[in-house]
Amino acid sequence: MMGKCAFLRIAALFFLLGVAFSCKKENVSEEISQALHAVKLQVPVNFPPVVEHVENPLTEEGIELGRMLFYDVRLSGNNKISCASCHRQDLAFSDGIALTRVGVSDRALTRHAPVLFNLAWAENGLFWDGGSKNLESQALGPLTSADEMFQDLNVLEQELKADPDYVKRFGMVFKDGVRSVNVIKALSQFQRTLISGTSKYDQYKRSEPGASQTESELLGMNLVNSKCKACHSGELFTDDDYHNNGIDATFSDDHEGIYQGHFRVTFNPLDLGKFKTPSLRNVLVTAPYMHDGRFKTIDEVLDHYQSGIKISPTTDQLLYQHQGRPGIPLTQKERQAIIAFLGTLTDHEFITNKKISNPHE
Amino acid sequence: MCDSGVLCTIKLLFMKKLLTIIGLSALLFTSCSKDSDTITLQGEGKVTLTMDAVFGNQDFALNKDFTTNGVTYNFTKFRYWLSNVVLVSTTGQEVKVSGSYYLMEETGEIRLTGVNNDLPTTIYPATKRENVVLKEIPAGDYKSIKFSIGVDQKYNDNMSLQSGELSQLNGMTNVSWMWLTSYIFTSASGKVSDGTTTKNMLLETGLNANYKTIALDLPKSLNISASKSTSIVINADLSKVTDGIDVMANPIVGASKATVMAAVAHNYATKVFTVKSVN
Repeated sequence: MMGKCAFLRIAALFFLLGVAFSCKKENVSEEISQALHAVKLQVPVNFPPVVEHVENPLTEEGIELGRMLFYDVRLSGNNKISCASCHRQDLAFSDGIALTRVGVSDRALTRHAPVLFNLAWAENGLFWDGGSKNLESQALGPLTSADEMFQDLNVLEQELKADPDYVKRFGMVFKDGVRSVNVIKALSQFQRTLISGTSKYDQYKRSEPGASQTESELLGMNLVNSKCKACHSGELFTDDDYHNNGIDATFSDDHEGIYQGHFRVTFNPLDLGKFKTPSLRNVLVTAPYMHDGRFKTIDEVLDHYQSGIKISPTTDQLLYQHQGRPGIPLTQKERQAIIAFLGTLTDHEFITNKKISNPHE
Repeated sequence: MCDSGVLCTIKLLFMKKLLTIIGLSALLFTSCSKDSDTITLQGEGKVTLTMDAVFGNQDFALNKDFTTNGVTYNFTKFRYWLSNVVLVSTTGQEVKVSGSYYLMEETGEIRLTGVNNDLPTTIYPATKRENVVLKEIPAGDYKSIKFSIGVDQKYNDNMSLQSGELSQLNGMTNVSWMWLTSYIFTSASGKVSDGTTTKNMLLETGLNANYKTIALDLPKSLNISASKSTSIVINADLSKVTDGIDVMANPIVGASKATVMAAVAHNYATKVFTVKSVN
């Protein structure tokens, strides 16, 4: 016969079921149940304000659930790949590979895995070409794509339901428990907390005690401000917008428009070849560069901007800094200064912070 | 009941407590309040809405040849989201059917790929679904019906939001569409032939610009009440889906063929649906 412990669990389960099934509402704004702890994002003072997502409010429990899922290989079809397989914390959540083949199909991707930080401010479309409208819809792509995690959403629900800890956690955070859409919501909550704003540059910008920049770093900062900030703007070091930065002259329509950039999404010819401006934060630990990882080093990137710009009807005029000609002129000393400054954007605290690292280890 | 001691008594108490828990939970199960209507209720009725697929003046069927304008169509699948159904009374009041996101379909078996993968366990079964019961309609006289084809922007832009039958698990979105964050609004597939060549056909619409709302007057006013059941039959004429489109030149239509896709969506919005009868 069952002991007291089992009885309590059964009672708890019935209550949870009751709560889970008691009321289906057409609820866009989710109320947080009393048992959960609401979280307000800690925004660095030099950052712009952050948009709240009322349809997926942040709670400690939701964020922790998202973190567990982010690092859980059961989210993939072959149970070998987690989100972290291509989004490594030590590389500011990129993977150090141009076009990875780590996906289930063993085929190379056509896009380089982007970094994941400061997404709480990325409100102008996710993916390099902006096809994803919000974090709550984004992960459905990589989760199910054959070249990435190739997961069956029904199987995912079954696998998670077989884990009593997940059942408990999902039931606590979401009215309808373990469902694939709630997996995405939990992942979104976790990702919103990935904030990188504690680099050497930030300490200097906020005049924190002991903070300083060397002469070369300051020169680099001024150069970046004058030559790069039109796109890599603000404290986020990105304008969250789309530009054709001249790495290609033609844009084939193969593969459902994957080479066409933002045009694939808007069908506006002015958007042909335009890709999202990545942040310069953590840039020295997130090689290779561009949407397909074609530049292995920052030097190659600077070479491109100096003298490698390719012209097409949508090449951004902001790159015409060479007396009306395309290119950004830089002396050797200026290049070194820029690279020195970019080094101060590496957020060592962020890439080693245990609170956002793998909880299963 | 319990002569023999402590263990039996504990078992009995346990059962009583368990029944209490179940009973209380059942209360929770049934304690739902319904969404409130903005119209005063004087009894409510139901309407069965039938979306009857046809091809011109023939009944629609899968795996059957239909010819129009020199092209022969043979369908294996016809599916679409019917959403945001509204009944309009003779006094102009609009009654929104809450949670109205319905998957209307006539399809053979589908091996779901891209969302549910080629697993033997995730085959979508052959399904014909033409009826929807619209519930809790306030009693009265109604003169027209409004409905939309596709999923409105609020739910199309955020695929984690749930309402009605919306789901990513039934093949009405897939990896290609999710890279654009959209459900598939309409999907018709099979083959087309002009007598010489036969091609695979897949006509899909999606993206917010192709979400279309349709308003149709009822041929006579429909009295809805609690005392009888009523019905509205709407024809969905597949022969109109490719009106004005060279389908032999464009047998595969989707997000990467934006202009043709817009033309297909326009046909759904203006030519495909007509009211056949009300009872």
